[in-house]
Amino acid sequence: MELLRLPGRAFLDFLSYMGQLASLMAELGRAMSLGVWRLKLVAQQIVSIGYGSQAVVIVTGAFTGAVFTFQSYMEFKYYGVESSVGALISVSMCRELGPVLAGLMVAGRVGASMAADIGTMKVTEQVDALRVMGVHPVDYLVLPRFLAMMISMPLLIAESITFGLLASYMVAVFGYGIPKPWFMMHMMDHTNMEDLLCGMSKGFVFGILITIISCHQGLKAENGAVGVGIGTTRAVVISSLVLLIVNFFMSILLNYVFPLGGAA
Amino acid sequence: MSAPEKSPFIVVRGLHKKLGSQEILRGIDLTVLKGETLMLIGPSGEGKTVLMKHFIGLMRPDQGEITVDGVNVVGLREREFAPVRKKVGVLFQGGALFDNMTVEGNVAFPLIEAGVRDYQEIRQRVDEALELVELSEHKTKLPVNLSGGMRKRCGIARAIVGRADCILYDEPNSGLDPIVSDVIDQMIVRLQKRYGITSVVVTHDMKSVFKIANRVAFLKRGVIHFLGTPEELRQSPDEEVQNFIEGRSDVTG
Repeated sequence: MELLRLPGRAFLDFLSYMGQLASLMAELGRAMSLGVWRLKLVAQQIVSIGYGSQAVVIVTGAFTGAVFTFQSYMEFKYYGVESSVGALISVSMCRELGPVLAGLMVAGRVGASMAADIGTMKVTEQVDALRVMGVHPVDYLVLPRFLAMMISMPLLIAESITFGLLASYMVAVFGYGIPKPWFMMHMMDHTNMEDLLCGMSKGFVFGILITIISCHQGLKAENGAVGVGIGTTRAVVISSLVLLIVNFFMSILLNYVFPLGGAA
Repeated sequence: MSAPEKSPFIVVRGLHKKLGSQEILRGIDLTVLKGETLMLIGPSGEGKTVLMKHFIGLMRPDQGEITVDGVNVVGLREREFAPVRKKVGVLFQGGALFDNMTVEGNVAFPLIEAGVRDYQEIRQRVDEALELVELSEHKTKLPVNLSGGMRKRCGIARAIVGRADCILYDEPNSGLDPIVSDVIDQMIVRLQKRYGITSVVVTHDMKSVFKIANRVAFLKRGVIHFLGTPEELRQSPDEEVQNFIEGRSDVTG
C-alpha cells in the first residue's frame, strides 16, 4: 500500500492542477464574455510581449535556419540533391521549428515575466487590492495578456519562420553557391499554404498554454519573494515541457487537417 | 467619545476559520455599527487581519454568518461580491499600491474601474482625496519613491475616493513615527466626522486606541475576549486585557 501512495498522490496532485487550470480557463471565458477588454492594457501587453520578443525570436529562427542548412547541405550533397535543401528547411521551419522555437523563447521570456509580475502583485496584496475594488484579477491581469498573446504569438512565429528561411537562403546561396533559382524553385514547390497554416495555428494553442500556465503560477504565488521565484521557474519549465508534448500531438492531428505536401 | 445609537453595518455571528490545522477563529460574534470607529486589538497571530479579511470576502469562513450592510456575504461568488466591496474601502498593511502607477493613477483607479469617464470629475475627486491626506504635492510620484507614511496615506486616499461607507484599516500606524502616526489617527477621525464613515481598525497601537476608538474589541484565542468603550477597556479587571494595555509580558526574571 505504501508503494502505491506516492504515485497515487502525484496523480491526485496532477488532477488537482488540471482542475485549477480548467477553472482559470473557464474564468477567462467568463471575462471575455463580459466584454470589458481594457484595450489600453492589451496594447501595452502587445508592446511588451510581441514587440519586446522580436529580437530573441528573430535570432533563434535565423541561426537555427542557418545551422540547419549548413548541416543538411553536407548530407544532401553526398546524395547529389543539395539544391533541395531549401525545401527541407522551408517545410520544417513552417511546420515545426518556427512554432516550437518561437514558442519556447516566448515561454521563457514572456511566461517568466507574466508569472513574476502577477506573483509579485499577489504577494504584495495588490491582487487583493484589485479584488476589494470590485475588479476581478482575471479580467484585469489575465485577459489583456491573453488577448495580446493571441495577436502576438502567430506573428512572432511568422517572423521566426521568415528569418529562418532568409538565413537558410543566405547560407545556401552565398555560402555554398547553390544557384538562387534552384533553391527558390525547390522551396516553393514543396511549401504550401497548409504548411504555414499549420505553424500559425500552433501559435494560437501555444499562446493559450503559455498564458494560462504562467498566469496561474502568478495568481497562486505565496510566501513572498521565494514563492514568486518558485512560481516563475515553474511557469517556464511547465510551459516549455507542455509546449513540446502538445506540439507532438498537434503535429499528428494537423497532418490530417493540413496533410504534408497535400496541395502539391 | 461615545457612539450614539446606530444601526449595524457589519454583523458577524459564530464565525469559525481554520488555516491548515490551526483553528484561528473559534466562534466570533461581533457587530460594527454605522459611523463608529471600532478598533480590533489583540496579540499578534490571533487572527485580527484574518477576521477583517472575512468582511470583504478575501477569506471565506468555515462556519458562521457575515452580513455587510444587510447583505449576507457568505456563499457569494467572487463576481457577486463587487457591489458589497464598492461600499467598503480597505487600507492594506503595506499600502498595496500599484507599483506601475503614480500616486494620482492609484487614487484614480477605483473611479475609472467604477466606470467614471468624466476626466474633470476624476481629477477633481482625486485632488480632493489627495488634499485630505496631504499628498497633493506628491501626486506624480511612483509608490517606490514614497515613504512608509506616504504610502499609507495614499492607500487611504484610494480607499476613500470611491466614497465608501466603511473603511477597514490593517495596522495603519505600524512602522510609522509618532507624528505621522498621529496624522493618520486624525485622518480617521476627520473622515468619521466629515463623511460619517464607519471604520474598523486593526492595531497594536494603544495610544491611538484611547485617542480615536468609539469601541474596542480584544481578540484572543479566536474569540472576542472583550468588547466595550476605551474607558471600559481601561477599567477592565481582566488581567489579560490589562497586561496587553500595559504591554506586560508574563516572562519574569
